[in-house]
Amino acid sequence: MERLQPLINEYKNIEIPEEVEFMVRKTINEFESCRNRERKLIKFTAAVAAAVLLFVGAVNLSPVTASAMSKIPVLKELVRIVTIKELAYQSDNRDVNIKVPQIEGLPDSQLEKSLNEKYLQRNTALYEEFLARTGEDELSPMNLALFTDYKVKTHTADILVVEEVKTEIAASGAESVRYDNIDLKNQIIITLPSLFKDDSYIDVISDNIKAQMQAKTNKSEGIMFFIAGDGTVGGGFDKIAPEQTFYITADSQLVIVFDEYAVAPGSMGIVEFTIPTAVIQGSLVSNTYIK
Amino acid sequence: MGRDADYNAITTLILDNRDSIYRLAYSYVHNQADAQDIVQESICKALSSRRSLRQPAHAKAWFYRIVVNTAFDFIRKNKKYLYLEADQLESESCASDPYPDLDLQDTVNKLSTVNRTIIVLRFYEDLELREIADIMDENLSTVKTRLYSSLKKLRLELDETAKTQSD
Repeated sequence: MERLQPLINEYKNIEIPEEVEFMVRKTINEFESCRNRERKLIKFTAAVAAAVLLFVGAVNLSPVTASAMSKIPVLKELVRIVTIKELAYQSDNRDVNIKVPQIEGLPDSQLEKSLNEKYLQRNTALYEEFLARTGEDELSPMNLALFTDYKVKTHTADILVVEEVKTEIAASGAESVRYDNIDLKNQIIITLPSLFKDDSYIDVISDNIKAQMQAKTNKSEGIMFFIAGDGTVGGGFDKIAPEQTFYITADSQLVIVFDEYAVAPGSMGIVEFTIPTAVIQGSLVSNTYIK
Repeated sequence: MGRDADYNAITTLILDNRDSIYRLAYSYVHNQADAQDIVQESICKALSSRRSLRQPAHAKAWFYRIVVNTAFDFIRKNKKYLYLEADQLESESCASDPYPDLDLQDTVNKLSTVNRTIIVLRFYEDLELREIADIMDENLSTVKTRLYSSLKKLRLELDETAKTQSD
């Protein structure tokens, strides 16, 4: 048996982790919970599954999640937007004024923080880029200006839409606009694709917008749009972008927005189309936001 | 604590033998986390089924049996561990190797789980063959036969035969 002795020694020398004693005592003291061990495991799995469902539900904006979330107290009164910073510079022929908004009072401070960081970052970049691009040049004293401003476009118990308008003036002006559609209850940013089951919304909405453009053009002489296949120079409007600018109104309507010059002559400014809910009902994930 | 007599007897046994129990579990899985899982599971099983312990004198064998069975279950459920049957061993040659003891260890590890358990309990844990028979829920003669055949594979038959016959 001498040959077996090294193996026996090795076995006797198996290191006993310090936590074994603790684990043994704990298991002994709490052994009543042993019986539930397997059940606990299942419960735990179920909880994970539920959490995943909840997450998917939140992403898909299901009404079930929304109603479960609605137990959270109304946030309308708590959330507000303030100007945290104004970036301004003025000379004889340069004028820039950038207002950096900041959201306050969102319960999800992570969302609030990331939004506010985005606002600060983007507006600071705009300011610096404007100054760099329009460095004072005595030989070409062109009047240039850049203004940004923001306002609350929609604010209900459920939804907050922050509108940011950027106006660039180089002899004539160009306005562009951005929206952050914030779901206050679920604490998420609503994107256009997230409202719909699949990509079909792009065609459905685009066709509706084209029809609206035609109708408006026929109705009034002063109105015209650039529509693709209409003989318009440069293509004209064919389809909305998957992440087309949009906002949700207080009465749960979807509004698609185009920057100045994007689909119409500059004289028409920023152009909005309210999409009738009946048109997109088949593509909507739910009627949580759009009714 | 003051639960009942069985409870106190078993917990004392577990606490006194916790290192052995852990080593036994470790000898199956060779990693700390899994060994601790087996120990924990075994304690749970033992305490919740303590009414099945009819003779307190056999408490140690009874508890080791729970550990061994839990380890077997664990290995079956976790495919990362090889569960070798005895006949699979026959193809494993280990005759002439310049490192005989490494070879021996290798061969012990390649024994079927049941046969290795008998070796571990007999020589590593120094239990009597009768206790091992209790633990494995086998006849004493079956355990003896298994032990001899394992020892033959390990080429330890000569001196070991002498030792086991003294039981």
